[in-house]
Amino acid sequence: DPDAKKAEAEELSRSHKQIEESRQRLAKLLNDGTQLLTNIQVAADARETQRRAEEDELKRQRLEKLENESKTNQDKFEEITSKWGSAKGKTIPQDLWDVLNQQQQQCAMLIEEKNKLISELQQELKSKDDQYVKDLKKQSDDIHLLLERMEEQIRNLMKTYRRELTQIEKAFELERRELLSSNKKKWEQAMQAHNTQELENLITRMQKVEEYEKQLNQLRVQDAEEYTTIKNQLENDVQILEQQLQQMKAIYQLNQEKLEYNFQVLKKRDEENTIIKSQQKRKLNRLHDVLNNLRTKLAKQIKQFQEENQNLTADYKRIVEQYKDLQRTMRHFAAIDAQTFLEIWLMNEEEAKGLMWKALEADRVLHTQQLGLPWVEPDYWFLDNVGPIVHRKAIKSASKLAQEVMALTGETREAREAGEAVRPPRHIMVKSVKHILELLCDESGFLIESKLLGLLQPLEKHERSLMRLDKIFAALEIDNEDDVYTLVDFFLKFKAHIHGLAADGALRGWNSLAVCVAAGQREERTAEEGPQELAGVAAKDDEGSAALKEAGTAHRSSAVSLSSVLFHPDDVLKALKAFVRDFQKPRDKRPQVKKVMDERDNSKDSEYWEALAHVIPEPKLKVWDALEEALEKYYDVLSQRAKLLTDLDGLQQQNTELHMLLHQYLTSKVSGDLEPRWDTGPGPGRRRPTTAHCYGCQRPCGSEQGGGEAGYPGPAAGKQKRWFLGCGRWSRLVLGAAARAYPCILCQPRWRDARGMGEGPGGALKASGGVRSGVDPADTSPGGEVTVCAERGHRGDS
Amino acid sequence: MQEPVSGDTNVASPTLKASVVNPAANPRRMRRIIAEDPEWSLAIVPHLSELCLQHIVSNFEKNPVVDHLLPEHQRKVLDRISTGLPLTVTANLISDEGYWKRCCTERWAVCDVSRYGGSWKRMFFERHLENILKYFIPNTTDPNQVLEVIPLCKEYVRKLEIDQFLPPVKLDQNKEEDDMSDSGSDVEFDEFCMNHYDLGVLTAALSHLEELHLTYGVKDCGMNFEWSLFDFTYQDCYSLANAFKKCHTLKVFKLCRSKVDDEKTRVLIRNLLDHPCLVELDLSHNLIRDRGARAIGKLINRSKLEILNLCNNRIRAPGAQAIAHALAKNSTLTSLNLRINCIEDEGGQAIGHALLTNATLTSIHLGGNELSEPTATLFSQVLAQNTVLTSINLACNHIGLVSSFPA
Repeated sequence: DPDAKKAEAEELSRSHKQIEESRQRLAKLLNDGTQLLTNIQVAADARETQRRAEEDELKRQRLEKLENESKTNQDKFEEITSKWGSAKGKTIPQDLWDVLNQQQQQCAMLIEEKNKLISELQQELKSKDDQYVKDLKKQSDDIHLLLERMEEQIRNLMKTYRRELTQIEKAFELERRELLSSNKKKWEQAMQAHNTQELENLITRMQKVEEYEKQLNQLRVQDAEEYTTIKNQLENDVQILEQQLQQMKAIYQLNQEKLEYNFQVLKKRDEENTIIKSQQKRKLNRLHDVLNNLRTKLAKQIKQFQEENQNLTADYKRIVEQYKDLQRTMRHFAAIDAQTFLEIWLMNEEEAKGLMWKALEADRVLHTQQLGLPWVEPDYWFLDNVGPIVHRKAIKSASKLAQEVMALTGETREAREAGEAVRPPRHIMVKSVKHILELLCDESGFLIESKLLGLLQPLEKHERSLMRLDKIFAALEIDNEDDVYTLVDFFLKFKAHIHGLAADGALRGWNSLAVCVAAGQREERTAEEGPQELAGVAAKDDEGSAALKEAGTAHRSSAVSLSSVLFHPDDVLKALKAFVRDFQKPRDKRPQVKKVMDERDNSKDSEYWEALAHVIPEPKLKVWDALEEALEKYYDVLSQRAKLLTDLDGLQQQNTELHMLLHQYLTSKVSGDLEPRWDTGPGPGRRRPTTAHCYGCQRPCGSEQGGGEAGYPGPAAGKQKRWFLGCGRWSRLVLGAAARAYPCILCQPRWRDARGMGEGPGGALKASGGVRSGVDPADTSPGGEVTVCAERGHRGDS
Repeated sequence: MQEPVSGDTNVASPTLKASVVNPAANPRRMRRIIAEDPEWSLAIVPHLSELCLQHIVSNFEKNPVVDHLLPEHQRKVLDRISTGLPLTVTANLISDEGYWKRCCTERWAVCDVSRYGGSWKRMFFERHLENILKYFIPNTTDPNQVLEVIPLCKEYVRKLEIDQFLPPVKLDQNKEEDDMSDSGSDVEFDEFCMNHYDLGVLTAALSHLEELHLTYGVKDCGMNFEWSLFDFTYQDCYSLANAFKKCHTLKVFKLCRSKVDDEKTRVLIRNLLDHPCLVELDLSHNLIRDRGARAIGKLINRSKLEILNLCNNRIRAPGAQAIAHALAKNSTLTSLNLRINCIEDEGGQAIGHALLTNATLTSIHLGGNELSEPTATLFSQVLAQNTVLTSINLACNHIGLVSSFPA
């Protein structure tokens, strides 16, 4: 509707314009009218001013005239008065008359003049009066004119006002008419639109009505049909229901009777129930009393039991503590028992071995000396055993293993021996171990100090590599054989992994690999624990599940299959890194694992001891019997000879006495001839000891029987050192790195006795403890202190 | 108003006989309802209150009762009482405008109530007093006539517009005998009795008087003109001046066509100096010259005068200069009329210079003053500088052809 609004505004402006125009016109008219009216005033003013000017002028003239007149008249009057004097002087009447006459005439003339003036002035006055009248008339005319003009003005104004009013009204009318017409048009349009809409609505409504009517009819027909069917059905239902009703009525009758009967019965029962109820009530009361009693009892008992419980818990705690103490003590005692067991075992073993060796020695003596046969030292497994049969397998040091492995390159015989010595886990081939170690030696030079490298330069290649390996192991914290094997295994698996996962991302599989390797290692370790412990440990170990085992085996097989493949030098570093990262932890855990106390297995003890007992076989005993017989015969011969010898002795004694005497005699001359000499000792293969002696029997160490062929380790560095002592037996030192000589088993008791005598009571016990702790009294005293014990006889015996 | 009722009763008795003859003669008898008569009622016997009111109205002069009536009854009473009742009864009793309107319209043909502040009562009393004063002849009319009216009308009169004062007519016979007697004899009579009515008593009594329009002269003398009829004597002047002193409420004072010359002006002005209320002073159509103008100039700055009308006097340049000097320092005067004087260029220029500093004057009329071009040029400057001036009338001057004034 902005157009309509604009039009409206225009219309309005039109009317406004009309009003404005009219106002202007009227203002002009009014202005003109007032001008017309004021013009009269202005004209009157102008006239007045003019009149004043004229009047002033006239007045001035009049005054001038009067003045002139008076002056002239004065002159005349003076003339007349002067003549009066001359007239007085006149004596002649004629003259006097003449003069008087003349004077009279002059006076008359003066008066005449004055009168003339007066009349003039009066004339003027009259004319002024006329003027006044005229002015009055004029004034009235003016007023009339004014009135007329005013009236005309009013009339004009009224007329024009009316006209303007009509015009304005016309304008408004026009405007209104236009507005009306436009509005009417709009209205009509709207009405038409509305009508058409209405018509449409009507038509649609009619259609709808028709539709609805149709629907209604249809529905009506349907409903009628439905109604009839339903009616039929319902009638049937009614019949059925009536029948049922009859039936129900009958049933009802029956039920009523039944119920009446029941009612009667129930009434009676009720009566009974009341009676019973009263009884029960009484009973209930009684029982309540009982219950209360019982409750009090229960409370008491609860209290009692609580106290008891407290006591018992206290007891329990105490007992638990006691139990813990007991356990601790038990553990302690177990340890002590184990210790004592070990000591006793060792003692017994020593004793037994002493006996055995004695027997063997005897055997040997018999063989060599008596029978003259070459004596073969029996080689039994138990001979080597010292202590309880537990750690049969000693763990080799890594460097030693390395040495052994590297030695494989040497001669074939040695290699074979080394191959025997090096018993790697089943799945790892010695060759691959060697290969890997070589690789390590070549590639991990950075782990070795540069100074050392310089030092190693002059050495032989083999030794140099050994030294390098040693250092590398130290850097990697690889101590023993197992670690080496773990390393090798890891390397193998790493390689397998590299090969297997070359296609897909290598790093992704690293963790799983590490886990697998760890599992495998664990598996290996358990396998290495020994057949006896395997079952127990596997049973105890949570991780030793079947699945893991399977995995381990699988890895093992794969490792075996891959062992042949050469390991690339470039992978060594990566593998080393991974190894160091993954195996730092398991290694830390190891001590804990080892702590597990294992039960001792004593199944083989009896066998062992039996074997010790039967160190001399039956045939040999028979030989000994035979020998005994022969020796007895020989003894008879010898006893005869002894008799002879006694004689000889007497003689000799005499001889010695004589010698003594001679000696005394020859006091000043002393010779060392009588000093005993080692080289004169009996024994065909005996050599003078160069390094160590048995303290007991002062026999030198080392024996040709055990030298080298048994494969025992020599007196090289290491934790476990075996010594060949003078009496031809070896003894083992459990602890202590320093090389110390100990008495051999045979002479030990004697030596001990001698020591015990020196030290006082309890020395024997301490000696046994000295073996365990390694702090033997012999250790404290310098080796030179324990010198020769008087065992010449023993030596002489042999 | 009461005539129909009374007429009814009067008519009733004569129509007793006539009714038989012609019942239709009196149309009122034949009609049951008379719609055009607002007083008509169905009741045959009027109400007692009506009767009472009627009685009150008829005896109002003796016993005026208005205030104790109910408002409707009061209305009725006031509508009915006669306008001819003596003023002593009605003046202070009746304040109803309707009554006074009736009085005015009955007495005068033309009544413009707007000139009297819309109050019919004020109009009545003012015009009544004016009438009395207009036709008061000293020594002939009883002065009590005025004194009696004063207490009645003093509360209501605010404006007195007296356009003629009759001179005393003691020597009527002599005068009639020689109407055209010389002036000498006139002078002799003047000394005794040519004084007009003394307004002193009146102005002192009328406490609300605000406007005073006086003309010492005779109206409509026509051809009976005589100078003696228009004589404003010194005695008159002094008495008028004294009258001012007693009238402190006066705001507007007009003294026109009274032959006021310089001396009389000075006397009047002396009494008007420092008047507390005077706002408008009109001394038009007199004979004031420069000395009188100088006195007026003094008055301008010693009163609150706002409108000053000195048209048609004899003021010349010195007088105009005096007025201009006062105007330059004035801050109250808004309108100044110096029509038909003769101030000429000298006085016109003085006024023009005054208007350069004056900031209150809004309209000035200098028509018919013999002004010419120098004044016109000065006024063009004034118009450029002065922002207060809204209307200047310089009609009937010789300004010249080149004019820089707005119409």
